[in-house]
Amino acid sequence: MTRFLNKKEALILAAVSFLILVVLPCLNAFLPKESFFHISDFTITVYGKYLCYAVLALGVNLLWGYTGLLSLGQCLFFALGGYALGMHLMLMIGKLGQYQKDIPDFMVFLEFETKYPETGGLPRHWIPFRSPWFALLMVVVVPALVAYIFGFLAFRSRIKGVYFSILSQALTYAACLMFFRNDFTFGGNNGLTDFKFIFGHEINTAGTKRWLYIASGILLLSVYLLCRWLTSTKFGLIQRAIRDSENRVLFSGYATAHFKLFVFVLSAVICAVGGALYVPQVGIINPSEMGTEKSLEAVVWCAVGGRGTLIGPIIGAISVNAMKSWATRAFAEQWLFMLGGMFILAVLFMPNGIVGLPAQLKALKERFSKRKNGEETPPATPLETPGVKTAE
Amino acid sequence: MIRFFRSFLAGFLLLAAISQASAASNARNDLVAAILSEDVAQQTEMIKKLAETNEPIVVQVLSAWRLSGVYIHEADDKKIPFLLDAQLNSDGAAKGARIADGEFLKDADGKPIWFSQSDLTAADTNSKLRKTIKTTLDFFSLADPNLKVRRDATIKLGQEQNLDYIPNFEAKLAKETDKETIRALKEAISLTQLTDEKKETRIAALKQLGDSKSINSMNFLQDFLKKAKADTKTYSAEEIRQTEATIDTIEKYMAVGNFVGTSFRGLSTAAVLLIAALGLAITFGLMGVINMAHGEIMAVGAYTAYVTQNLFKEWFGATGGKFDMYFIVALVMSFLTAAAAGLILERGIIRFLYKRPLESLLATWGVSLVLQQIFRSTFGAANVQVGSPSWLSGSYVIQDVLFAYNRIFVIVFAVLIVYGTYLLLTKTSLGLQIRAVMQNRNMAACMGVRTDRVNMMTFAFGSGLAGMAGACMSQLANVGPSLGQNYIVDCFMIVVLGGVGSLGGTVSASLGVGVTNQVLEPWLGAVLGKIIVLGGIILFLQWRPAGLFATKSRSLDG
Repeated sequence: MTRFLNKKEALILAAVSFLILVVLPCLNAFLPKESFFHISDFTITVYGKYLCYAVLALGVNLLWGYTGLLSLGQCLFFALGGYALGMHLMLMIGKLGQYQKDIPDFMVFLEFETKYPETGGLPRHWIPFRSPWFALLMVVVVPALVAYIFGFLAFRSRIKGVYFSILSQALTYAACLMFFRNDFTFGGNNGLTDFKFIFGHEINTAGTKRWLYIASGILLLSVYLLCRWLTSTKFGLIQRAIRDSENRVLFSGYATAHFKLFVFVLSAVICAVGGALYVPQVGIINPSEMGTEKSLEAVVWCAVGGRGTLIGPIIGAISVNAMKSWATRAFAEQWLFMLGGMFILAVLFMPNGIVGLPAQLKALKERFSKRKNGEETPPATPLETPGVKTAE
Repeated sequence: MIRFFRSFLAGFLLLAAISQASAASNARNDLVAAILSEDVAQQTEMIKKLAETNEPIVVQVLSAWRLSGVYIHEADDKKIPFLLDAQLNSDGAAKGARIADGEFLKDADGKPIWFSQSDLTAADTNSKLRKTIKTTLDFFSLADPNLKVRRDATIKLGQEQNLDYIPNFEAKLAKETDKETIRALKEAISLTQLTDEKKETRIAALKQLGDSKSINSMNFLQDFLKKAKADTKTYSAEEIRQTEATIDTIEKYMAVGNFVGTSFRGLSTAAVLLIAALGLAITFGLMGVINMAHGEIMAVGAYTAYVTQNLFKEWFGATGGKFDMYFIVALVMSFLTAAAAGLILERGIIRFLYKRPLESLLATWGVSLVLQQIFRSTFGAANVQVGSPSWLSGSYVIQDVLFAYNRIFVIVFAVLIVYGTYLLLTKTSLGLQIRAVMQNRNMAACMGVRTDRVNMMTFAFGSGLAGMAGACMSQLANVGPSLGQNYIVDCFMIVVLGGVGSLGGTVSASLGVGVTNQVLEPWLGAVLGKIIVLGGIILFLQWRPAGLFATKSRSLDG
């Protein structure tokens, strides 16, 4: 195995990680509130949220940018991870809820006590979630299982391209409808909220928030390194080969379905872990989090940042969300126009995203100067992406 | 001879008029007597007797009396009952019309007396009397010229289960000609006979109810069964058995009715889905472009119907024949606006993305967001009301199953659209070109087909169909900014399920999905039904990955 990071890259990575993991939390913790460089508790939570979104974007990118599978269901896994941890957090509220009962508020409200009298109102599958370890295990296992079953069925019957997108969208839609139902025992459309403790710490203190932020940073860093490593191996090569021409890979004797299934499950797990860290920071998880539009938003982050690169989705996720935070406050009405417009523009004019912009501009400049020199240039097709082909 | 005949006829008519007039004046005298009587029992008898006359004045006076609208005027020690005239003078007083002859009350000078609210004395009533009057009035409704009023009154009176009414019902039954009303009368008689003392009568009534499959009497039968089981002394085992049999018969009848009704509703939902999915089948199936904004194009059609309706309201008023025509115009307009929107979309964005289908998905989703926001800022976030024209509201009732006109219309319209699309694709030169481009774009281009233009036309046509689907949708469901989002997943699933590029597949898939959704809904609820359908489709594609009617092709990714 070759080294997958060269010296320069490692240096930059270390510097950025230091900034995110050490400098920002320190600014939050040790500077006085009046200081210009102080970062408020609210801001640090917002940054933590962005980092989780970046993890989600990496998951989408591993699937779309590197394997050519556009899944519109990655938010489902994100939300499933969130729900798994959220269930544990709900049970940790204890008697501090509004009704001051042992079971979460929504169960009291929905009269689960009469529905599940033998367990005191707690549905059976909720019981093991009292253990944090079980909850953490489920954060990984449940999404992986769902992804495995769906992926197995889809790839076995060689559903690909846009069909895969449509089916994954339908899956997400169905799951979303399911979670909206009150008798599905996950809180209906209010979802899970009002968390009080996480692993024995109060969730709303500045310290916990800071640690959650740092955890998100570490997660993002490790997911980045994992993807970086994976894509530099032979496996990564086959991944890209599948993206560019699945049939040739198939005819070369590779069982592409297995590769795709592995990547799909891996991506689901990445998204789910991101979701699990996201939930304690925003303090709520509900079914709208797994709507198809959320999945599509995650795809836009990748498209805007530049898919098929690893740094692009991170940049995309953070910049689009920062813009969203700002725009929904400044012009709430126009946000959908902006998001929609961004979609269209990114697809039409920036096929390689922000990361690919310098190269694109350079090519444009070269062509311009060539034409100036009177050289005949073939009619260019700037909309065609040289490196990234998504379908044949 | 003729003269004789004419005078005879004139005499006859005169006689008839006199007898009618005397009947009316008799009724008036009876009314006066009833109102002035002091004895409640006697009053009740008199009112019941009045029920047998067929005079409008009786209805008028009795309903006024029930609401304390009959007043007494005392002059020369005589009590004169009267009604107030509708016309008020400037003081808010009105003249009084004598019930005895309909003339206005006059004072000693022969001038009409004006009564103001404060100096009125109402004729006495009590609750028993009011109840009697109400029943009497109901009996009058049994003879109402309006069929619906007649039927409703029959059903209401039957449900009172008062044995005294039976002779009345039977008298009406002999005269009645309307089939439905005869049925209602028979039901009312049988229902009333359930309270009869004789066992045989009761059993016969039960049998009769079973034979006429009376859904209205279901609750009464169940109560009767409970009563009979609790009191086995009065009610025999045979009776209980018969009741159970009757309930069973009616339940079966209801089940069949429900099934037919549900299937019909499913069929109409399927029809709307079909029109919408047909547009998608053309843009996606034939052109390979995923148009996530297809649902919003539907919404464009629905909102066009809304705007057309409002314009017609402004021009021709909210009712009348001209206003009712709005829906026809709306259908055409929604096709045109949606097609125009599709044309702009294709020229502006999609034509750059034919080689990148996954990215066309993203770009069109961006378009759908923008369109949604446009709807929201133009028409508001709340749903808007699109009314049905009068020729589409109402329904046929066959065997207690409702067939709403608007649903029938949508089904017929869908059939026409499918046939029209079929003709367009197979019989016109545009259709030929569309099929050629679909099969082999490069080859078609080499043969001189202007593929660019064909794309444009096809996309506009598909969008136009979606617009018409939206207009139809406005008759069955709410019109709001998120209308498209609710149907887009269904539409995509139908196209994938049916097999891309096949009209027959789209038709059968939308029928399947629409009807299954409706059939599952009452059992599992709308949401769970939908989930099961989605799950079913995913599993079905395991068996036939290319859909129901796959286009056969030798190409690798065909």
